[in-house]
Amino acid sequence: MDKIECRVLVIDDEQDFVETLVRRLERRGFKAYGALRGREGLDLLERHEIDVVVLDIRMPEMDGLEVLETIKRRWPFVEVILLTGHGSLESSLKGLELGAYDYMLKPADLADLIRKIKEAHERKLLRREQG
Amino acid sequence: MGMFKYFSRKRHRDRAILREKIRRRLREKYSNFLELLSSNVELADIISDISETLRSQKLFGMSYVRSRATLAMSHAFRMIRALNEMSDNRYIELYDVFETIKNAIEKVITLRPFSLPETLVFPLSHVDLTMDDWVGGKSAHLGEIASRLKLPIPDGFAVSIRAFHIFFEKNDLKAEISRLKQLTNFNDLSALQSLSEQIQALIMRSAVPDEVANALLAAFDEMARAKKVQSFTVAVRSSAIGEDSEVSFAGQYVSLLNIPREKIVDAYKIVVASLYTPRALAYRFYKGIPDEDVAMGVLCLEMIDSVASGVLYTQDPTNPASDRIIISAVWGLGPYAVEGRIQPDRYIVTRTAPLTIAKTLVSEKPVQLVRNPAGGLAELPVCAEKIKASCLNPDQIITLAEYGLHLESHFGCPQDVEWALGPDGRLLILQSRPLQSLNIDRDDVIETPELQGLEPVALGGETACPGTGAGRAFIIESEDDLGKFPEGSVLIARHSSPQFAVLMNKASAIVCEYGSVTGHMASIAREFGIPTILGVPGITEKLENGMEVTVDATKKKIFPGIVKEILQKKKRPIITTSESPVYNVLSRVSKFILPLNLINPRDASFSTENCRTIHDIMRFVHEKSYEEMFTLGDTLSKEVRFALHVRAPLPIDLYIIDLGGGLTKEDLFLERDFVEIDEIVNPPLRAILAGMTDERVRQTEPRPVDFRGFLSVMTEQMLSPPKLGAERFGDRSYAMISDKYLNFSSRVGYHYSLLDAYCGRTVHKNYVTFSFMGGAADDVRRHRRARCIGIILKELGFLVNIKGDQVVGRIVKYEASYLLECLRQIGLMLEYTRQMDMLMSTDKSAEFFARRFLKQDYRLDDIS
Repeated sequence: MDKIECRVLVIDDEQDFVETLVRRLERRGFKAYGALRGREGLDLLERHEIDVVVLDIRMPEMDGLEVLETIKRRWPFVEVILLTGHGSLESSLKGLELGAYDYMLKPADLADLIRKIKEAHERKLLRREQG
Repeated sequence: MGMFKYFSRKRHRDRAILREKIRRRLREKYSNFLELLSSNVELADIISDISETLRSQKLFGMSYVRSRATLAMSHAFRMIRALNEMSDNRYIELYDVFETIKNAIEKVITLRPFSLPETLVFPLSHVDLTMDDWVGGKSAHLGEIASRLKLPIPDGFAVSIRAFHIFFEKNDLKAEISRLKQLTNFNDLSALQSLSEQIQALIMRSAVPDEVANALLAAFDEMARAKKVQSFTVAVRSSAIGEDSEVSFAGQYVSLLNIPREKIVDAYKIVVASLYTPRALAYRFYKGIPDEDVAMGVLCLEMIDSVASGVLYTQDPTNPASDRIIISAVWGLGPYAVEGRIQPDRYIVTRTAPLTIAKTLVSEKPVQLVRNPAGGLAELPVCAEKIKASCLNPDQIITLAEYGLHLESHFGCPQDVEWALGPDGRLLILQSRPLQSLNIDRDDVIETPELQGLEPVALGGETACPGTGAGRAFIIESEDDLGKFPEGSVLIARHSSPQFAVLMNKASAIVCEYGSVTGHMASIAREFGIPTILGVPGITEKLENGMEVTVDATKKKIFPGIVKEILQKKKRPIITTSESPVYNVLSRVSKFILPLNLINPRDASFSTENCRTIHDIMRFVHEKSYEEMFTLGDTLSKEVRFALHVRAPLPIDLYIIDLGGGLTKEDLFLERDFVEIDEIVNPPLRAILAGMTDERVRQTEPRPVDFRGFLSVMTEQMLSPPKLGAERFGDRSYAMISDKYLNFSSRVGYHYSLLDAYCGRTVHKNYVTFSFMGGAADDVRRHRRARCIGIILKELGFLVNIKGDQVVGRIVKYEASYLLECLRQIGLMLEYTRQMDMLMSTDKSAEFFARRFLKQDYRLDDIS
């Protein structure tokens, strides 16, 4: 379990945030991809093996919960961490109901986020292993 | 023979399949269990954080309440989800319990929806006090004064809150503003400044929707038509929701004077944007007013070329018993009367009939503010003969005082009134709102002792807020200095300014050369209870930055150095948020989050229907998750249990699940339900058990009178078979192990500890996390025990965080050998501190026992 690379996809409409997070994740040994729109994110999932998705709830065009629903339908083993600056009870619970692994408020502490990504990854491995 | 072989192979294969199925099921359960545990830790943290915030009364805003509540709910939901996934939905009714709690919380933190009329603009003659939710406080009050009281006011109209909502909704401003706010640290003034700039720029960039703009212009045109004047302009003033009610928003928002038709839409935006000036943001934050509750109505009043204007208080705010009406006046337009730019005339009128002028203090008023025909305002010199002349004549003073009493009796409380004297000699009321009375207990304003032989640096001026304060002088010369103001300093400035609102939580006293006790800053200072003297000549010259001074605002004296004798012991009345709306919201929300009703898992009341709070859910789910993980058989094969009971004389009743490689024998659970201590290979668990069973801590129990007798009983109980131990201590402890990983949970009575460790060869992956919770009750001794544990962990090199009765320690990236030693120490400590609560008799006990422990002195007799 230790040596398996964790592949992370960050979907958020804030370009600065995506770029920073992807850079920092790469520096810490993750394989990281970034997307600025839900659609773009789903395309990436189509083309690459992804373990964990970090997903902003509030985005133009296709909103985060919609993206989450699609991910859980098509790639049920991919774990999704919701991330948003617009913390609302309703959307966070909706997200968990739709099968999100966890939920974080922006601005999220990077160390916390990385810990969550690792947890989500471990969960995926545990559930996926010969599953 | 062949037959036998076949059966043997089949049995072998069946066993292998069963084993594989069980392993997969275990992994599945385990992944849910981990998720549950991670939320459990975070939820425990949120719960301590909320109770700590309520206890310490530190400052927080509505977004704090919202985010804590949201996170608490999310984690509770996540725990319920995980438990149900672990148990084939055995606890499905928890979702209903959750829903009930969620609804109760949502009733507190979402705004009740209330309906607004569609009308965008009301003529003031049609406005009264009942409409304050529609047009904001200032418009509603002024409308009431005209329509009900029939006192003279300028013509005007009120732009409704509805217009504000349309403006914000069409531009989606709420969401963007709340996003910006979440990124800001409110205690950082420069961050606050930049937040304010961003929000105000955002508002100014946004287009006022046509329906609103057209309504504004139409109302303006209608007024101009009725007036039949050429150069007609208006004053555009804030009329925020709540602005004129209990909480004084003195000078928080913008008023724009002399606005022509073509600028009215921009002026509207500027006034709306002033909801987000740094001082308004800071003020709401410190007073705990949720942003969601704020909305801006706008008041447009015909611009009066006033000869003189000023403020009237129907009572002396610094001395309500004195039965005096205070009027201040300046030449020209009103802002100079409240901004501290010049020293206004003061008139004191005795309230008892017949009204008489008790005192007239005419000051030097060299400049005045007037309407600039080219737009905006201009400062003009006052003609020589008027500089030292009184702004009002005695008749006018008495008329104003009568208006004031009229307003007071109508509104039922002392009033703070803005007035103007028109070019036609008419006195007009521009605004009236409740007077900010002193927020200081009468007991607090004790007379300061007279000091012999101590010369004040300066004396005189007027008390804007009584009391005493001391600190280093900090002289504010420009706006840039605001950000540099050191906590606890004494604010010294030439002119008083409402901008100082951002420093109200930092200043220990305020002294200004100019300023009026009826001004904006003075009322803010009173609201925050900051001792303030205004009108002290030359104080900025007499003091130097960094010099220690003591301000006696009651006696209007400033002394050099810190004069302890006159400093009042009591804290300032308002430095906390405890009575603020947002504090109340948190305290109401917390009732559905914090209390713990489920305490004893063996009690019949430990059930879903008795979960009434988030804390209950957390406790219940956590307890049941261990049951699911350890004690109940797997659904695939009822007779198989994953958990193995440890057969050893331990002080705890311990069960183990092996995730792979933690025991000498793989899949032991398929064969039997117990394990010998020697069969455990997992090094972290072995280290803990070694510490726990160390003879030196096992022997030490609190010494009763009959020491020997008691000790032997205790020892016997502790060494007795685990079944008996389980009854005695009431709980089981669980360990989940692999070759290098340990998750260890033990509960003893109310105490509960959780340990997570990984000790392998790769140093940077190694860690130990240890958390200890003392239980829900607010018991000082439990806090002390937490402190004691914290001290020991810190000494071992852990990063420690203590909140109330909860301690969390974490140590990472050490050699396995060192971490194993830490684990052994934790084992020792768990045993050592087990009986400690009753010994934590004083604040020093925590430190005392921690030091003893670290010196390997494990005696547990009391300090005395």
